[in-house]
Amino acid sequence: MSKVAVVKWAEPGVEDGLTSEQYSAMLAAGFEAFGKPDFLAKMLRRNRPDSIEKGLFSTPDSRADVVGIKTNCLTRRNATPIALAKALARALTGSGFDENNIIIWDRTCWELAQADYKINVSFSGTRCFGTDANGVGYSEEFYGSGPVNSLVSRILTEIVSHSINLPVLKDHWLAGVSAGMKNMYGAIHNPNKYHDNNCTPFCGHINHLEPVRDRHRLTIMDAVNVQYNGGPGYKGQYLSFYGGLIISEDPVACDRIGVEVVEHLRRRNRMPPLQAAGRPAKHIDAAAELGLGESNLEKIDLRVVDVDGTGSVSEGELLG
Amino acid sequence: MNRRTFIRCVGCGAAAAAAQSGLLPEFLGGVQNAMAFDYTKKLSSVEARHYKKKPDGGIECGICPRHCFVTDLERGYCGVRENRDDTYYTLVYGLSCAVNIDPIEKKPLFHFYPGTTAFSIATAGCNVNCKFCQNWEISQVRPEQVDNLDLPPKALVDVCRQRKVPTIAYTYSEPVIFYEYMYDTAELGHRSGVKSVMITGGYIEKQPLAELLPHLDAVKVDLKAIREAYYRDVVGGELQPVLDRLIQMKESGVWLELVYLVVPTLNDTEQEFRDLARWVKTYLGADTPLHFSRFFPQYLLKNLPPTPQRTLETAHSVCRAEGLEYVYLGNLRGHPSESTYCPGCGKIVVGRRGYTIYEYNLKGNLCRFCEKHIPGLF
Repeated sequence: MSKVAVVKWAEPGVEDGLTSEQYSAMLAAGFEAFGKPDFLAKMLRRNRPDSIEKGLFSTPDSRADVVGIKTNCLTRRNATPIALAKALARALTGSGFDENNIIIWDRTCWELAQADYKINVSFSGTRCFGTDANGVGYSEEFYGSGPVNSLVSRILTEIVSHSINLPVLKDHWLAGVSAGMKNMYGAIHNPNKYHDNNCTPFCGHINHLEPVRDRHRLTIMDAVNVQYNGGPGYKGQYLSFYGGLIISEDPVACDRIGVEVVEHLRRRNRMPPLQAAGRPAKHIDAAAELGLGESNLEKIDLRVVDVDGTGSVSEGELLG
Repeated sequence: MNRRTFIRCVGCGAAAAAAQSGLLPEFLGGVQNAMAFDYTKKLSSVEARHYKKKPDGGIECGICPRHCFVTDLERGYCGVRENRDDTYYTLVYGLSCAVNIDPIEKKPLFHFYPGTTAFSIATAGCNVNCKFCQNWEISQVRPEQVDNLDLPPKALVDVCRQRKVPTIAYTYSEPVIFYEYMYDTAELGHRSGVKSVMITGGYIEKQPLAELLPHLDAVKVDLKAIREAYYRDVVGGELQPVLDRLIQMKESGVWLELVYLVVPTLNDTEQEFRDLARWVKTYLGADTPLHFSRFFPQYLLKNLPPTPQRTLETAHSVCRAEGLEYVYLGNLRGHPSESTYCPGCGKIVVGRRGYTIYEYNLKGNLCRFCEKHIPGLF
């Protein structure tokens, strides 16, 4: 069974977005609901030799523990919230990661900057830059997992050891939904070659590329304000408050739950289902067939919790 | 441009105003480190032609048979045409990423003013993804990933006139995807006495081609195979639309030559050569020049060897036996089949070694020895 945790903010009055402290509370509740409260700390230890774990060396090899946080900054007004990135970075440093070994990234510096992220390539603080930053660029070798081959961001191939995907859940006119797997289109040099046939099976192919697949640790999908129609470009009239974070190690299961949320919001707003709208999110089943994860809802261990302003956690409903 | 250059070439300009917004400076570093620039402003924003707005949003591109459905902020398969709020833009108008003055024989066009030169340009992008592409570093990338030279149509035509280069060649990548740039340049060139030739895979829709052809003087089409499966598996396109466009080109009267890249094990059987020759003879005519080109391993087909000379010679002999009159072998420097032979008397009318003309025996379009008409523009 693939585990997915959905954390929903239960307090009213946050339609304009959550603060990083509120996101921190949601992350903590999410990891708890996920059954892995020390997930990030374990991720830190994952690459370390036993000798370091046993304390034989006083200085851990921090180079092996660089975390890339892949944002989605395609649109300024519907980008991965900085408050969420900040909360995650704080959770990572709290779990032992060096602050400078956390890299918030996307395709270009400009896309990050237009979403109000500050570019930082210095040796202090959390770093933040795009694949187009000086000295970064794309891999020298091609990676393939289907008919199209791609160069992959060197942030994934050479710089980070762990990748956390931080997408924004939204409708997508071709893929049905733009969720976690679709966000990795921003990790390759030729995303335009992967959109045919409702992005199927191409979305799975990208996530099956060796650097993408092997670095992936976790998806934390922002579903606080979800655009349920007209995406991926920003269309404010289709924005609906859901108030959730969807968390999973399984990129397919995470997106599967994301589809349920988008379909729910579409129903609530009297929109036809994605299938009837001509854009079924069939890339998710195709990704499951590649072995990337679980797309069958019956085989997904879903835990939904609500968090309120005091930090107290209670059982919640996915589509409540 | 090599791959290292490509990796580096997405420059990082001065700090953009966007980077100066005030959120989280303590968290994500100061603006002194900002290196973001609006790359979209480095690209063109000229409205594309041949697209339809969909009633429920999004656009359908009509420039090539893919008919990409493109939503807001997305691009078509070519990577150089972008939907912005349901207006479709070409991002490469006037932006050449490859510029060179080449012998016309390099295109190759052997029956088009031999010994002259062509001012050759390309932009980033392509509407197919040939696994053997020799120019993938420009054809398979997005325009912001290469260095672009600002060379709008007028500047391009002016430089040709100043340097006395008679022809502009739209080449290297796939000119169909920079249709508007090519169209306007070719039209302006004709008004200024500069010719235009399109070097293409021929994967273009009927109407855009019909509008373009009057402004072109010659077209060279890479007919990559005569099998649909090859187009699907190796090219990432379709054969039939290319065949349809070839007939359209021939009927238009534009000068047309074909190239067939012979890739070992993938499109190199005698039956394929025979089918190709028969199709060309039937639909384009026996006097249509056909160039067989030698494959060298690169891009995604590094596992295959170069085409054996013997295979190319087989292709040549099969097509000659089927009745094609002008069959050439390319990438085989010094081979006798680089030259043009008169079908009437069998003598060399244009002797070539590589891109060099060493013998010329034509008077206008007539063989100097037997006065047979040799098709083309001489």
